[in-house]
Amino acid sequence: MMPPSTARRLCFLSLLLLLLLLAAAASATADAAAAEEFTEELLLRPLPDRKALAHFHFRSSAPPASAAGRHHHLFPKAISQLVQKFHISELELSFTQGRWNYEQWGGYDPMSTNNAKPPGVELWAIFDLPLAEIDATWKNLTHTLSGLFCASINFLESSTAFSAPRWGFKLNEGNLRYGALPREAVCTENLTPWLKLLPCRDKAGIASLLYRPSVYKGYYHSQKLKLKSSQSLGIILDQTLTVVLQPNTVSGKQLHSTGGQLQPSWSMEHLFSKKLSGKCLVSKSSRVFVEIEKGIVDNVDKAGSDVSSNNDLFVLSTAPDRSLKELDNLEVQSSSLYEYDVNNYNSDKPLNVGITWKLPLIWSCTRAPYHASRFLMGSGNERGSIAMSFLSTGLDKQLVDSSNDCSIKAVVFQVVPWYVKVYYHSLEVFIDGNSKAISEVVDKIHVTPSEDKLLPGTMEMLLKFPCSMQLATLTLDFDKGFLHIDEYPPDANQGFDIPSALVSFPEFNSSRSYPEADPLFVSPLLENFKEDGVVKSYTEVLLVPLTTPDFSMPYNVITFTCTVLALYFGSLLNALRRRIGEEERGLKKAGILNKRGLIPLLIAKLRGQKVDPSESESTSPASLPRSKLLLKVVFVAVVAIVFHYLSNS
Amino acid sequence: MAEIAGDETPPLPSSSGAEESSLLSSPPSPTAISGDEPPPRTRKPGTKRLVLTASVLLSFLVGLPLLLKSTEIHRSPLPSDAIADLSRRLQSHPPSFPCGLHAVFLRSGPGSPVASLADQLERAISTQHHLLPASSTAGNISVSVTIQSGGGCTSSTAAASPWRCGLLTAADSVRDDEVFDELLHSALGGRDGDGMKVYTIVIAEDDDGKGTRVVIGKHRHAWVVGKVDEAEALSLIGNVFIKYFMNGGIEEGETGIGKGEFMPVGSDGNVVLSFSLLNADPNDWVYDWEFKNIGERILTPVVEALRPVADINIESQVLYHTPKSSYSYSDDKLGGNVLSMGDIPFFVNSNEWHLDTSISATGRSKVLQFVVYIPSARECPLYLQLPDGELSKTNAFISPMWGGVVIWNPPGCSVGSKKAHGTRRQMSSQELMETLEIFIGQLRQLFGLKPNYHAQGMDVATKFLVSEKGFAQWELDLLYRHHACSNLLSCVATLESLSSLVQSLPRMIVMDEIGRQVELSLEAASLAQRNATLGIGDSSAGKFGTHFIAHVRWRL
Repeated sequence: MMPPSTARRLCFLSLLLLLLLLAAAASATADAAAAEEFTEELLLRPLPDRKALAHFHFRSSAPPASAAGRHHHLFPKAISQLVQKFHISELELSFTQGRWNYEQWGGYDPMSTNNAKPPGVELWAIFDLPLAEIDATWKNLTHTLSGLFCASINFLESSTAFSAPRWGFKLNEGNLRYGALPREAVCTENLTPWLKLLPCRDKAGIASLLYRPSVYKGYYHSQKLKLKSSQSLGIILDQTLTVVLQPNTVSGKQLHSTGGQLQPSWSMEHLFSKKLSGKCLVSKSSRVFVEIEKGIVDNVDKAGSDVSSNNDLFVLSTAPDRSLKELDNLEVQSSSLYEYDVNNYNSDKPLNVGITWKLPLIWSCTRAPYHASRFLMGSGNERGSIAMSFLSTGLDKQLVDSSNDCSIKAVVFQVVPWYVKVYYHSLEVFIDGNSKAISEVVDKIHVTPSEDKLLPGTMEMLLKFPCSMQLATLTLDFDKGFLHIDEYPPDANQGFDIPSALVSFPEFNSSRSYPEADPLFVSPLLENFKEDGVVKSYTEVLLVPLTTPDFSMPYNVITFTCTVLALYFGSLLNALRRRIGEEERGLKKAGILNKRGLIPLLIAKLRGQKVDPSESESTSPASLPRSKLLLKVVFVAVVAIVFHYLSNS
Repeated sequence: MAEIAGDETPPLPSSSGAEESSLLSSPPSPTAISGDEPPPRTRKPGTKRLVLTASVLLSFLVGLPLLLKSTEIHRSPLPSDAIADLSRRLQSHPPSFPCGLHAVFLRSGPGSPVASLADQLERAISTQHHLLPASSTAGNISVSVTIQSGGGCTSSTAAASPWRCGLLTAADSVRDDEVFDELLHSALGGRDGDGMKVYTIVIAEDDDGKGTRVVIGKHRHAWVVGKVDEAEALSLIGNVFIKYFMNGGIEEGETGIGKGEFMPVGSDGNVVLSFSLLNADPNDWVYDWEFKNIGERILTPVVEALRPVADINIESQVLYHTPKSSYSYSDDKLGGNVLSMGDIPFFVNSNEWHLDTSISATGRSKVLQFVVYIPSARECPLYLQLPDGELSKTNAFISPMWGGVVIWNPPGCSVGSKKAHGTRRQMSSQELMETLEIFIGQLRQLFGLKPNYHAQGMDVATKFLVSEKGFAQWELDLLYRHHACSNLLSCVATLESLSSLVQSLPRMIVMDEIGRQVELSLEAASLAQRNATLGIGDSSAGKFGTHFIAHVRWRL
């Protein structure tokens, strides 16, 4: 009986050991995960319209800990406290200036779907709270963010400014709030607090490239803060800054005149007036990527050379540390990535990646299936209509079989302020110019009508377009409301901005994959690209002119009233005081005695009375009234002086 | 228009009303034009003029209420009389807290002590209280005396302190001070609770020839060991009680508690202690700390001790690229870079040190910043030089109501030390604890207490037992008293200024909400004053008062 028991004991012991080992391993991994981390990355990409795109990506992560919000090493304390205080499970805040050009800069890649944002401020947040408390928390959150980022995000506090979409923006259980301020001006005062959240700010590392004059001179500028928080993962803070810049090259100026290269050759120094001299020392990884788009890659393939950093079409100024192939969701190679590890560069050997074109090249980027745009129709200050058009870009022809019953889905989400009173029943759909029944096109619709001074109108709509369609147009009629005189913003005559509508195509996914990358290579930027990304595009901001009141009206009313009152009392007093019969008699008598002053004389003359010249010639008695007149003048002067003195003292 | 009409009237008959009335009364004689007599009217004035005059008057009368209504301002009535009354009351009777002094004489000799001796000693001690400075927050002091000798105990009539007779003898005083302190604490009932504070001073007669010494314990007691005669004992009792238990050892002319200094406590009673580790230049070296474990462990007793005064939260962060903004110069003799006292006001670099006000500190909480500054390799080691040329022992300074800064020179840094090129290191726990001890000293100073005591002004050797909480019980009493007092005074000052402001601006709108808040805070202030004289609330009532006042301030 002995051997089995020892075997059992051994078995038990080994099990215990295994358990211990496992526990040790688990604690080791927990220790590794318990550290706060920071990574910084930059992606550069030449754009077809002679511009260049720079996408900065900073990720700070904090592990889940009981001390979250109190003790931090790298993670910004303010953000952690924000998450704790408002129970945020997800939040995205973007400040954008300029409009993403979906035609030229791409509409079907992770950059445009995740990082192209509507002009102004956009904020959405998902709360981990009971539904009843969300609105109040949202209001507090807007105030806190507004203080944190020196912006007027607090205008999103009012219930007329935010909405709660259910599925049109992002599928949720009613705990999402969305608000946008299209007219918010974005400038360096918003960037500085954003940079403060980075451990090295712009003192070192990739963020030191952010030379304000060159960043704000760009065509598009979008700074974004995205937060994800959960019990298991802790807090992940992604800060991105996407800028589209015109490379500031000397040869670039000559391009207009000489028929040389179509594309300017540029380097980091041309874009930011700076070179990269080392990483932020506390960052875990610091990388720069150069992305060469599919259009160029195809051209290089056609030219018969290998897509390396030095080929027939272009050459990168610095040899990359690694190159990656990017596949789109259909497993087709889309673009090439060249990676530089900033660790290998320092102030003695700064990194200045650039691209030099060997041959003139024209390419285009991949576009979204439809180009969505929104515009206003109608005239006058009373009513109008909003139209939204979807113009096919021809992408669907390549992707989908044009069989008869094929269709493409599109989701439209738009928020309209209450003073634009949209009549949702007036929705009309035209496909290739022909009016269609709504039921044919609209699959699902969810409308929250606006309430005056209380709620904005929200519309979520799932549309189904036939594949063969070239152009679809949706129209909605609206009436323009009246605001109270106090509710008009400054410069009301400029018009009112309606936030951008969001159009997403749920059947199209812009996620990328990197099959060649080795599994130890962790890049948060590429992780974001790998994430499931439905193709989205924002439409233009609409500018609706509203009836503005005459703002000088109160002043006019006051002046008119005062004039009428003055006339009334003046004439009344005059009528009370004057006795015309006696005056005439007096005048007559005075005329005889020649004791009238100059003004009565004139009046008398005007009235057509005859003034006897012989009477006025007798001068001797006239000296008396003259001295009297003098006395009067002196008296008035003295009274005036005394009054002045008294009133001043 | 009236004036023009006046001009148009003939100058001959003066247009005064009296003459006009005489004109009207004179019989009409259209042909009388001779002489200076004014021409009489041809007919009587009709009713038209009367109607016109009445209409003017009527329209004015109709308009008057409209005018008054349109310019009406809503002013909630403020109880300014009650405020003035409260302020007068506070001025004539400043808030004072009753406390007790209990003297215990431990006699080694046998035999029961005489009862009348205790009463006699009690009277003798009571007469010394005129020494109490006017600025003290202590009110009427009840004195009691207990005499213990081999045979038993005798207490004076007014003995309030529960002295457990025989638990402790004079022989115990030769033991270790810490042990004796705890023994004494248990002999006194072992309570640090609320209610009237009774301070006990034990005179242990012990003739060991080492001389007299005074030890001030962690709780509300002190003891004197040595051979002292009665007169000397009495003067020592008075001295220790007044100087330390009542005034925290702060001499006349020194700044500190009760000398017009405010307590760094937010008006809602919250304080956030924000600890920051600043790496001036991470290119040289990067230091991190294990604040979460060590800091919390050391600071939690302090936080617990101060809870009746303020609700304290602790936060920490590490910041990088934070140079100082004042210049230091290299001093070869001292072997480092030296920062003189005059440069300290410019040391805190508010542009680069984004210490942040805390989001979790809501409303009107106070944030106290405690900063550990790690100099860059170029300026390392960095020392603070006192005005007398000496180097500061702690290498730290405080800024009242803001916080404190400690300059921490990393180990192995000397003039011309090589850059470590961004190596990441950890501040050792020993060093962190030392730094935190300096911070606790700074916190004491910020609250108006002395960072540490030296027995100046006492003619006998004095020793202070240091509590692990950072604050001894009697020091906390001092803080409570002062906090309640200053809260009450600032509450009344705010109410007074509010009432005078409202009175000086007759056209200012006063909301109902504000009127309500003023009444609430007035009530709270009166309650606080009453409680203070009864010795009940430590500071809570006063806290209420200022809380409401802060609210009013905010609403305005």
